[in-house]
Parts: sequence; C-alpha cells; structure tokens
Amino acid sequence: MARTDALTLDHAALLEGPAPSLARKLLWGFARVFSILALIVAWEGLARSGAFTPFVLPSLSSVIERIWSDAISGELAINTGLTVYRALVGFLISMVGGVLIGVAMSRNAIANWFFDPIVSVGFPMPKIAFLPVVILWLGVYDVAKITIIVVDAIFPVIAATLIAIRSVERELIWSARNMGANDRELMWQIVLPAAAPQVLTGLQVALPLSMIVAVVAEMLMGGYGLGGAMMTASRFADSRGVFAGIVEIAIVGYVLIKAMSILRRRLLIWHQEANEPTTA
Amino acid sequence: MSSQPQIAIDKVAHVYRPPRGRPVLALEEISLQVQQREFVALLGPSGCGKSTLLYLIGGFLPVEKGSITVNGEPVKAPGPDRGIVFQHFALFPWKTVRDNILYGLERKTMPRAEREEQAQHFIDLVGLGGFEDSYPSQLSGGMKQRTALARTLAFDPSILLMDEPFGALDAQTRHLMQAELLSIWQRTPKTVIFVTHDVQEAVYLADRVAVMSARPGRIKTIVDTKFDKKDAGIFKSKGFVEKVDELWNLVRDEAIKAERRAP
Ligand SMILES: Nc1ncnc2c1ncn2[C@@H]1O[C@H](COP(=O)(O)OP(=O)(O)OP(=O)(O)O)[C@@H](O)[C@H]1O
Ligand SMILES: [Mg+2]
Repeated sequence: MARTDALTLDHAALLEGPAPSLARKLLWGFARVFSILALIVAWEGLARSGAFTPFVLPSLSSVIERIWSDAISGELAINTGLTVYRALVGFLISMVGGVLIGVAMSRNAIANWFFDPIVSVGFPMPKIAFLPVVILWLGVYDVAKITIIVVDAIFPVIAATLIAIRSVERELIWSARNMGANDRELMWQIVLPAAAPQVLTGLQVALPLSMIVAVVAEMLMGGYGLGGAMMTASRFADSRGVFAGIVEIAIVGYVLIKAMSILRRRLLIWHQEANEPTTA
Repeated sequence: MSSQPQIAIDKVAHVYRPPRGRPVLALEEISLQVQQREFVALLGPSGCGKSTLLYLIGGFLPVEKGSITVNGEPVKAPGPDRGIVFQHFALFPWKTVRDNILYGLERKTMPRAEREEQAQHFIDLVGLGGFEDSYPSQLSGGMKQRTALARTLAFDPSILLMDEPFGALDAQTRHLMQAELLSIWQRTPKTVIFVTHDVQEAVYLADRVAVMSARPGRIKTIVDTKFDKKDAGIFKSKGFVEKVDELWNLVRDEAIKAERRAP
C-alpha cells in the first residue's frame, strides 16, 4: 500500500510550529517566577524598612551572605549532603520496598491478607509519632533517621503500585499472553510498564515526603544535617542561621522535585501527557 | 477437507459475574464448527456476545459450560496458535509501532534480522511505513487498528480471531485491507473467525456467515456465502446482492429485538 499517511517535507514550515517571539518568551519566563520574586522583594523591603529588628527578620541579602560563608567553610556541603543522602536513601528503600510489597499484594492472596490492614491503618497515621520508638530501638544516628523516613514514604508507593497494577487493562494482559508471554515476562514487560505512570505518581509523593521527614527527624534527633543545623542555630539565637536553613531547604526540595518531574517526562515519553505542551 | 473440524464449539454458555451488580448471561448454548482453512464471519447485534465468543476460543475466559476444542484439544489457555485482533486494539502504549509488532516475533526462534524484516513487511503491508517509531498515543484510530492487525498477522497464527478488525477504517483503506486479508488467507493455510457489523464485508470475505441472536447470544442461522473473490464485478452480481439482502433482514430482526429488550 502507498504511504498515504507519511508527511511530505514541503510542509517544513508547518512542521516547525509557531515560533514564540523573544519578548513573549521573556515575559512568560518572568511570569512564571513572579510570585517568588514578589516574595523576595517583600522580604528584603520589610527587613530593611526597620519595622522588624534583624533578629526577628534578617534581610535576605544578609541570609545569602551567611549561606555563602557556610559554603566556603564547607559546612553547607556537609549539612546539605547529609540531609539529601538520608532523604534519598530512605526514598530509594521506600521505592524498592513499596513496589515489591505492592506487586506481592496484587499477586498473592496471603501477602494481600497480611499487608492490606497495615496499609489501611498505617497510611493515614502520622508516622512521625513512631519517632520515640525508633529512637529507643535504633538510637539517633543514620539508621534511625532513614528508618523513620522509610516508615513514612513507603505507604504512598505501596498504595500507588497496588492501584496501578489492579487497573492494568485486561486486554493488554491477554494480548501479551496471546503472543506467548510467560508469567515473568508478563510482569516485567507488560504489567510494570503499564503501571508505570501511576507508580511514578506515587514516587512523586514519596520524594518530598522523604525530604520533609529527613529534616523533621534531624530537628528532633539533632546532629549534622539541615534540620539539625537549624535547631542548633535556633538554640544559639542565631536567626540568620535559622533563615539560611529555610532558604536551603526550599532550594534543595525544589531541585529534587524538578529532577523527579524531568525523570518522569523521560520515562513516559510514550504517554499521552508527553505529547502535550509543558506547563511546568 | 478433514472430517474433524478444527474448531468445535459445543453448547457453550457464558455468564459474566461483575463484582457488583447482577450476573449477565452473555452466551447461551452456542454451537459452531469451523473447518480447517475456513473463513467464517459472525454477524449479530451489539451486545450479543461476539467478542465474548472470541475470548472463549482464544482461551482468555474460562469455558465453564459446554466445550470448545481446537484441533481436538480442549481450550485451556491462550496461545500463539490462535491470534486475536482485539476490537479495542490493546496495543502496548509504551512500545512504538515497530516494537509492538516485534513483541510476538521475539518469542519465535528466528534470527534478529529476519524478525526485523518480517515486522517491516507487515508495517508496509498495512501502510504504516514512516510511522515505525511512533507511539500508539500519536496515531489515529485507524492507524492503531492497522498496527493491531499487523501485530497479529506478523506472528503468523494458524487461526485468526478478528474482532471488527476494520471497524475504525475509512471505506478506501477498508477495501485495501480486505484484499490484503484475502490474499494472506489464500496464500497461507489459515482459519479465520471474523466479527463484523458490515453485512457486505461478511458476505464478500467469508465462506459462511453465522448470524447471532440478540443477547443472550445463540447462533440463529448459518448462511453459505462462497463467491468468487477474484470476480471484480462481484459486488453488483445478482447472487451477491441477494445474499446481502437476505442477511441484512436476519440481522435487522435481531437488532430490533435487542432494542426492544433493552431497559
Ligand atoms: N466484563 C463484563 N462484565 C459484565 N458484563 C459484560 C462484560 N463484558 C461484556 N459483558 C456483557 O456481555 C454481553 C456481550 O458482550 P460482548 O462484548 O461479547 O458483545 P459484542 O457482541 O461483542 O458487542 P459489540 O458488537 O458491541 O462489540 C453484553 O451484553 C455485555 O453487557
Ligand atoms: Mg464486541
């Protein structure tokens, strides 16, 4: 049959798509960060207006100076590195464990019988309440901090995996079976890829959760890390140090979430959503 | 022709039991025998259980009442001997057109180059050259359907179960695809069960047309429709037009019944 559907190339101009003007691009770029810029300007303006003492509200510029000096002394790298390390290790354990438990629950009645009540009761619970128990059992070092992160972040992964696998269209599975796929191939080549969008959504919930719990655990358990450093600063009435911590946490959180959404777009290149223009 | 039918469906019934809601009797006492290399079309009103019957033959749904044998063996599970083209395509959305078609070939023992060649052959056959690397979400309905068609034809099943395989195609492409299907069927030994709503298509393609009754589905009549497919004027010949008319009336009666019975 002739290639009636193939595009001919004299439509090159059409294929290029509308080119947004430079002014439009700049305006759009500015609009997207407007609220953040407004907040920054308001902070700096308020701090300099004299309405607050520098102790209550240090100016943003002085906070940035502080971050800079921490960066030079190496303190920033240690604290950020430790927090991100704990959050990411906790996240990765939650990812692997959550997907495994979700898969097991979807395939095995005994696993489902065992885990289902735990997930139902555990998911809505504030898991940070287990912190005293974790401290009793595991102390206050990395193992304890990562444990409490996993206890929190694993639930959205389990729930997303379970729902994702259950909602895989039966015709996709039949189709693969028809072409001779065995149980293992079915799981790895069909069920998990089909479930990927929803599993990734679960992971996108688990990642910021890991970061939040990492900081909170550090605040409550002490030691190095962004949360610990903020508590120390607070104890020593070092308000610039406290605000520096907030700015650092905001930036680290943003970078992590952005990285995750880039990863999602990469992985789901085949998905309908990848065909639509970006909004974020 | 061998005396034993290749596909023997004997008094098969099927009940859907949704987790919530009432059970649905989709098929009631279906019996049908299909010989090797035969082309049988299934006609019947929407909801009469045509897809369900294909799912049972394909081994996707368990046969709970009656029996279905293929080559004398009771159907227990799906297998590549019975290739199905699903009504709703069931393409793997994370695979490109080419990879979708390669999936069935990967499990065959043949060199990689031959596999790729085979896939390309069927891509060209259904007119999707240039779209090998597109994902299903980037294709039109008709293109998805042609991908599904190519995917099933590519792994070369000896039995083809086709569920309205040309339903999403425009009239012209439909004619081309009908001709391709006929030529494949004539060149390679294949048995075809072909579901359609298009009476003319059924009469043109099939050796026999089975008309199903409104739900719960039964085989109402089976009509012989052997015509010389090579005859260019077949669509206008008297015999052909009369057959189409006869079947049309049978199908319409059932469609009206189905309508009346609907709540
Ligand atoms: N998964 C299901 N659960 C419950 N009932 C179902 C299910 N699938 C089909 N049915 C019912 O079984 C009957 C037969 O469905 P089936 O899909 O086989 O019809 P069909 O003849 O292929 O119709 P169409 O021509 O519209 O494709 C329908 O009346 C439908 O309501
Ligand atoms: Mg159907």
